[in-house]
Amino acid sequence: MHTVKSHLPPPGEQQIARIRKHTSSPMRAGDWASGARAVLPAVVAFAPLALMVGASVGTSDNPLAAWLSTWTIHGGAAQLITLDVAQQSGWLAAATAGLLVQVRLSAYSTAMVADWRSAPLGLRLLAGVVLSDAPWALAQSRSTGRRGFYLGAGLALFLAWPAMVTVGTAGGDVVGEVAAAALVPALVIGCTVATQLRQRPVLVAATAAGLSAIVTATASAGVALVSAAVVGIVAGIVAEGTRGRDREAASS
Amino acid sequence: MNVVLAVAVVGAGSLMFRLLPLVGATLIPDWLTVHAARAAMAVLAAMVVRTVLSHRDDGLAGTLVTAPLLAALAVGLGLWLAYRGRSVLVASGVGLATYVVLAAGFAALP
Repeated sequence: MHTVKSHLPPPGEQQIARIRKHTSSPMRAGDWASGARAVLPAVVAFAPLALMVGASVGTSDNPLAAWLSTWTIHGGAAQLITLDVAQQSGWLAAATAGLLVQVRLSAYSTAMVADWRSAPLGLRLLAGVVLSDAPWALAQSRSTGRRGFYLGAGLALFLAWPAMVTVGTAGGDVVGEVAAAALVPALVIGCTVATQLRQRPVLVAATAAGLSAIVTATASAGVALVSAAVVGIVAGIVAEGTRGRDREAASS
Repeated sequence: MNVVLAVAVVGAGSLMFRLLPLVGATLIPDWLTVHAARAAMAVLAAMVVRTVLSHRDDGLAGTLVTAPLLAALAVGLGLWLAYRGRSVLVASGVGLATYVVLAAGFAALP
C-alpha cells in the first residue's frame, strides 16, 4: 500500500507563511487612525481600572515615583500589585510580584517579531514602548496594515492611560463600587481574543489556559498567568501535532 | 524607599520584556513567534477567567457563588457573540447589559 504525502505544509508552517505575508505591507495614515479608533472601547473599558490605579498611586508612600512608573510599567494590574505589596512588605517581594504579572509582555513582544523584523530600529522601539494587552490583541485581527494599526492603537492607549491614572490620583476611585465596571476590561479583552479562536491550535491553547486559570484560581496572578502560558504552549503544540496527523491520514 | 525601588525594578523589567525581543528581532526564529503568540492568547484567556472567578458584587446575596456565576454567563454571552462575528463594542455591550439585568433581577429576589 502506498502512502501519499500531503502537498499542504504543516499547520505551523502555514501560520508562519501567513505572518510573513503581512510583514512587508507599508504603513499608511489610515491604518494609524483605524487603530486609534479601534482601541477607544478599550480606553473606556480600562477607565475604572485606571482610576483604581490612580487612587493607589495617590495614597502610596511616594506618589511621584508611583505616578512616574505609570509610563514604564504601563500595565494596571502590575502597578496595582506592586504598590499594594510594597505597602505591606519589602521592595523585593513587590518587584517580584509585579514582574511575574509583566512577564506576559515578552510573549506579546516575541509574537510581534515576524511583523516588525524589517522595520527600522526606532519604530521597533516605539512599538515596544507602547505595547500592552489591548493593542496587541486588536492587531492580531488585522490581515493588512498591521504595523500602522498597532501603533495607532498603542499610542492612543499610551497617552490615554496615564491621563486617566492622573485623574484617579486627584479624584480617587469613584467607580470602584460599581461591580459591573470590574467586568468591562475582561469583556473587551475576551471579545477581542474570541475573534482569534477559529484556528484550532489557538482555540485549544486558550481553552487549556482557561482551565489552568480555574485550577490556579487561588494562586497569585503572576504564578497563574505564567502557568497558563506554559499550558497554552504545550496544548497548542499537541493540537498542531494532532491536526497534522489528521491531515496526513486524510490525504493518504 | 520601598515604593521607589519596587516601581523602578518593575518599570525597568517591563521595558525589557517589551523591548528586548523587538530589538533582537533578527535573532528570533519564526517558529518561536508562533508559540509566543499562542502563549499570549493563553495568558489573555486566563486573565478573563480569573476576572470572572474573582468577581464580587456586594449587591447580591450569596455573592461568593452568585456573582462569579452571573459574570460567567454575561462574559460567556459576550464572547460567543464576538466569536460569531459581532463587533467587540456590540459583544462587550451585550455582555455588560446582560450582567446588569441579571444582577438587578437576582438582587430583587426575596
